[in-house]
Amino acid sequence: MSWSETLDLRTSGRVVVRPDIPHGVSGRYRRIKTALNVAMLAIFFCVPWLRWDRGPHLPDQAVLIDLPGRRLFAFGLEFWPQDLPIAVGVLVGAALLLFYATTLAGRIWCGFACPQTVWSDLLFSVDRMIARVAGRGPGERRLRVVVWFAIALSTASGFAAWFNDATELPGLIVSGTATPGVYASLVILTGTTFTLALYARERVCLHMCPWPRFQAALLDRDSLVVTYQEWRGEPRGKARVPLRPDIGEPGLVALARQASDLGGQLAERGDCIDCTRCVTACPTGVDIRNGLQMGCIGCGLCIDACDQVMSRLERPAGLIQFDNEAGLTRRSVEKPPVSWRRPKALVFAGAALAALSISAYGAATMPGLLVHLDPQRNPPFVLMSDGSVRNDYALRISHRLARLDGVSIRIDGLDGAKLTLSAGTESASGTPLVGLGRDRSADERLLVTLPRGLSFGGRRPFDFVLSSQDGRELARVPSYFWGPER
Amino acid sequence: MAVPEHDPLTGYKTTGHEWDGITELTTPIPSWWVTVFLASCFVAVLYMWLFPSFATTGGYYRGSLGWSSRGDLVDDVAAGRAAQATWRSALVATPIEAIEANEDLRRFATTGGRAAFGQNCAPCHGVGAGGQIGQFPALVDDDWLWGGTIADIYQTIRFGIRSGHEEARDSAMPAFGELISAQEIDAVARFVLALSDPTTLASRQQMPGAPIYATNCAACHGAAGEGGRDFGAPRLNDAIWLYGGTLEDVRKQIVVPRMGMMPAFTTRLDDETIRMLSVYVHTLGGGER
Repeated sequence: MSWSETLDLRTSGRVVVRPDIPHGVSGRYRRIKTALNVAMLAIFFCVPWLRWDRGPHLPDQAVLIDLPGRRLFAFGLEFWPQDLPIAVGVLVGAALLLFYATTLAGRIWCGFACPQTVWSDLLFSVDRMIARVAGRGPGERRLRVVVWFAIALSTASGFAAWFNDATELPGLIVSGTATPGVYASLVILTGTTFTLALYARERVCLHMCPWPRFQAALLDRDSLVVTYQEWRGEPRGKARVPLRPDIGEPGLVALARQASDLGGQLAERGDCIDCTRCVTACPTGVDIRNGLQMGCIGCGLCIDACDQVMSRLERPAGLIQFDNEAGLTRRSVEKPPVSWRRPKALVFAGAALAALSISAYGAATMPGLLVHLDPQRNPPFVLMSDGSVRNDYALRISHRLARLDGVSIRIDGLDGAKLTLSAGTESASGTPLVGLGRDRSADERLLVTLPRGLSFGGRRPFDFVLSSQDGRELARVPSYFWGPER
Repeated sequence: MAVPEHDPLTGYKTTGHEWDGITELTTPIPSWWVTVFLASCFVAVLYMWLFPSFATTGGYYRGSLGWSSRGDLVDDVAAGRAAQATWRSALVATPIEAIEANEDLRRFATTGGRAAFGQNCAPCHGVGAGGQIGQFPALVDDDWLWGGTIADIYQTIRFGIRSGHEEARDSAMPAFGELISAQEIDAVARFVLALSDPTTLASRQQMPGAPIYATNCAACHGAAGEGGRDFGAPRLNDAIWLYGGTLEDVRKQIVVPRMGMMPAFTTRLDDETIRMLSVYVHTLGGGER
């Protein structure tokens, strides 16, 4: 759309020609959109710059997706791949919230919060600014490409900052010492931002996005959607045509009727003067007066456009407004309230709350220490020279606790057993100490030996107890000891 | 005879055959299809020329690119080796006794050693190095015939035991069946079993086998059965019996001794791999320091 000078928009009555950029409006929804855009762009670009002290060997970026390290830092939390169910819960909860919002108020996600909308909206205002500065023409088009490319590149860099140290990244990129992955994502994301968000814009919503396809399944007669109040708008006519008496003030109507030369045309009109401001303000170029349709993303900009016109005509605002299906027969300019207490909305809200609560519970109770302690069964036991019996255990351990350099291990429930590491250190208290280096993991072989007199035939359960160096118990791992049948 | 006719409606010829007034068109194959078909034929010939494609009397045609999946594997292995070059050279440069003290090097060595053990050692000593009673010694216990320090293990893996290599560990126990009487063998076998039984500590020197042991066995196996690692003579006063711990097993071993043989791996593996194996075996649980 952006390469053609103008755009033909088929409205119900005639073809409206508008510039390739929808014109700007001001009003309530424009202010909400602007505030949300600023907030969301600020989150996108600024959050990676927040710092969070985690101690030595760990990144100090508050939110960091560490792909090579396969971990995700989010302020005080650290997620590992095995925490995927938590992410699933968050995503399910987010989807249900989306359904909930759609049930209540139509596609407000699309109109206000979708990244595609945020960037499209940003670019529409940028394009309007360029048109003001450079005027229409080839110069404008060249300037656009430069600005678009700059925006696409900063978007890609902003995205890469979530995956790398944001403070070091600009220097690395400029000096050519960043990883190939960084440059690849810069190239790919600059390309996709340029094509999808900057070049295709609303066509993504119209032709590529699957979400509009099933919004109809979520809307019902109580959902608030952008609605043209046909009862007061029709029939449309020029502003000088007198208003229908049932909606206008009687005195004014009579005055207008006298003043106008009707000449066999429309004798009286509704509130809609067919100025098509609602159409030319629409980012997807739909005519909302045709009723709810797939192209409508529910951004409310046509409401602002129409309200501006209505105030100029000194007519009540809300010829186009968020309304439910009942509003079309209610015949009132009063806005209907959001109907929260519907079974469908309550079910979505409850399910979203449940999914998010489960995830929150999961995140709050994530184990900080992951221990695999596998008995070695080949051979199941080892007979030693002095007649004692030894069992071997493979210990793999990793942790995400703050400031833990080592773990001491002791045995509980196997009297007389001696615990050693095949290659390791012993702490002063005699319990083996497993060192956890900067990668916060260890891979050791544990040896448990029972003296000759104490060994037994068959299998006997016992626990390994892992403690931090200051004596705090971190984990208790059930295991077993095999002895030879004599 | 069928005569092809021109069909005015389509512009194509018919086959000339007619069945109940119905004739059949010979519509030519679409040109795009023919083009694709011919291009495919060309690509097929190109493939045959570039890659190994057909058998010849003396083997097979190797293709002009000289490609083979085996060659890919060799390249991959070489690339893997190159990626490990720092570690491998550090492994060789570090004295064998000092490798385990370096945490990173030890991890690298045990990981590589585990893989090499599975390929080279597991067939005899078992995947878990548990050995096999009557056949091959366990490597996880603390009983070592030729020494259990990492230097001893390194030496053993390199040159083997009775392998025929000139530096191999070598010894032979005489077959006492031809040297002493069956009665004496029985007596000495009972004495040998008593060596590992702490309850006989006071009485064992009065056993009839004691003087026979002192004369024939003590030189290698030690007066108290403590074994002699210089000759690979096993300890007799412990609980571990490679060839069985019953009276009959011990008697058999005295009459016609069985002695293990292990190949020299220095001719099969590179030094880095042998060092990895040494570290791995040494850290299995019985390694001596």
